[in-house]
Amino acid sequence: MNGTSIALSGFRRNADKQKKLIIAFLLIVFLFVLGQVAVSNFLSFGQVLLTIKLASFIALFGLCQMIVMVGGGDGLDLSVGYTATLTAVLTASIMNGQNANLGMALLVALAIGLLVGAANGFLAAYVKLPPLIVTLSMSLIVQGGINVYTAGADITGKPSPILQTIAAKSTGVFPNILVVLLVIAPIVMVVLSRTKWGLALLGAGTNETAAFLGGVRVKRVRFASFVISGLLASVIGLLLLGNMGLAFKDMGSNYVMPSIAAAVVGGVSMSGGEGNYFGVILGAIFLQTLTNLLVAIGWGDAGKWLGFGIVLFTLLIVYVSDRRVR
Amino acid sequence: MANNSKGARALRKYLAKPEFSTLLILVAMLILAAFLQRNFFDAKPLNRTLNAFTPLILLAMGQAVVIISGGLDLSAGTALSLLTCVMTSVMHKANPETGLYAILAAFAVAIVIGVVNGIGMGYLRIPSVIATFATSYIWLGAALFLRPTPGGESVAWFKVFYDVKVYANAPPALKAFGAAVPSALTLVLVGCIFWFVLSRTRTGRYIYAVGSNNTSAYESGINTARIQLWACVINSVFIFLAALFFVGQNQSGDARMGDPLTLRAIAAAVVGGVALAGGRGSVFFALIGAVILSLVNKIIFFANIPYAYQTLVSGVIVIIAIASSQGYTLYSRKSMARRGKLA
Repeated sequence: MNGTSIALSGFRRNADKQKKLIIAFLLIVFLFVLGQVAVSNFLSFGQVLLTIKLASFIALFGLCQMIVMVGGGDGLDLSVGYTATLTAVLTASIMNGQNANLGMALLVALAIGLLVGAANGFLAAYVKLPPLIVTLSMSLIVQGGINVYTAGADITGKPSPILQTIAAKSTGVFPNILVVLLVIAPIVMVVLSRTKWGLALLGAGTNETAAFLGGVRVKRVRFASFVISGLLASVIGLLLLGNMGLAFKDMGSNYVMPSIAAAVVGGVSMSGGEGNYFGVILGAIFLQTLTNLLVAIGWGDAGKWLGFGIVLFTLLIVYVSDRRVR
Repeated sequence: MANNSKGARALRKYLAKPEFSTLLILVAMLILAAFLQRNFFDAKPLNRTLNAFTPLILLAMGQAVVIISGGLDLSAGTALSLLTCVMTSVMHKANPETGLYAILAAFAVAIVIGVVNGIGMGYLRIPSVIATFATSYIWLGAALFLRPTPGGESVAWFKVFYDVKVYANAPPALKAFGAAVPSALTLVLVGCIFWFVLSRTRTGRYIYAVGSNNTSAYESGINTARIQLWACVINSVFIFLAALFFVGQNQSGDARMGDPLTLRAIAAAVVGGVALAGGRGSVFFALIGAVILSLVNKIIFFANIPYAYQTLVSGVIVIIAIASSQGYTLYSRKSMARRGKLA
């Protein structure tokens, strides 16, 4: 194999990855055009900006999904939305609208994330239960915890002003949460592709056996990915609280399904080893646009879940189904 | 001497089987339940208990078929919800024959659900967990379209699927039968016979073969995709039976009623000794697993735990049940291997 052909194969592999990004982008454009035809004023500047702002939370949760998915082993984390809710419910009263209490709230948030993430990681990586079942049961437990708390006490308190500034306010027309997203995205990509841990995670996802033989402690790396997902989820819970201004029982659970769909739309491989966070952001925007469109034509909740389900299933057929082998 | 040790080895082998521990747990649970509720084994309370257990039992049996075939169905709960919504949308109270149309329509939808799931995991080879996760939202969306809020109509004679005694106009023969055998038991028995017959067919045996090793099953000439499709369709039939029971009981449809049952049905199958890896386990023991899980809930109910704790407790139970079954399987396989090496 000469240099040119190696470079060419590298380019092809790269092009293959870009293809998924381009598909996601085209899907968004298609939806916007469709929306503009069906509903007037769908494509205004303010509307697009609002869509992107709403999508940013799906994208943030999508980061959790991407990290556990990249590690392979059918990784997925269904507990993220519930972890976020629990964090928001507990920290709202701790913060009580004071910036001084933010440190304490952050500490509590990280403790919750660590606890849930470690439990998920232990059961998924070491006991080798399917992650989807583990995290689904964990969401039941966390939701149970929320129920117990809200039965005993009313949800009180407000987020600290700093959080509100980050999550809800805009600088000029530009929503601040987008800045957060644009800062995180390159960091994530660098961590995944340049650090030792990121490469170990990618390796574990690409080929478990090869990675293990190459000295990667697959179980530990996957365990860590669930812990990180839990920690991220609890911090997102703080941001969600900042965005909404108050905590309530179901504030995070509705993000779980869209976050997974966003990761799949964004080209994160279900079998692991491949993921581009910019793709996940595009996927989130696509899903939010789809929601807007369905709500605008009056299909509401039913249409949203039906649409998400069909989109996810279709993209699974396109991306995941593996008919080449036999 | 040799004979004796052979017998001991056979006994040890049997004790190491997950089935044995399942039966042991069942007996312990029954004793505990009978102790807490003194009239547990009387006809009426027993019938009520059975009614409360039936949907989970049916879903667990269906789920077991899919798990044995090497898959997992996360859409079972929302599929059940969708079927109840289909039935109550087709039926009109005033028109008894619409009940028949409802049964036909719901059965057709059930088959479609099974076929879509089966094509996803069998022919397209999407990992079953994520494929059914996606389809579960399709069923949920469709159910919400039909019935945004719980409700709908049901014909009066649908009550026979719940309890023949409740329906005054039942023909005498049916009444006599219903007095002897509760409807819930009949539905479970129908499911049992259905699987008993199927498990004696080629398809039934192939389901085990495909689940224990998909590649070698394929290489020995089994159409693995078609077998997985069959497993999903069989599961759909069990879900359909559960839907008949639910509509008979509540006379209404509910797009959200099935959600919590999915995970519990999986846990029930696992408690019954069905290996999540596929290929091992018994559908009838999944039934026992469902009974155990329901008894645990019942016992907790007797412990007077406040309502707010129920989700938490049932989540903890599910995860303990699944993790311990999995741990037990891993442990017994390891210790068997170690003994094998020593001998």
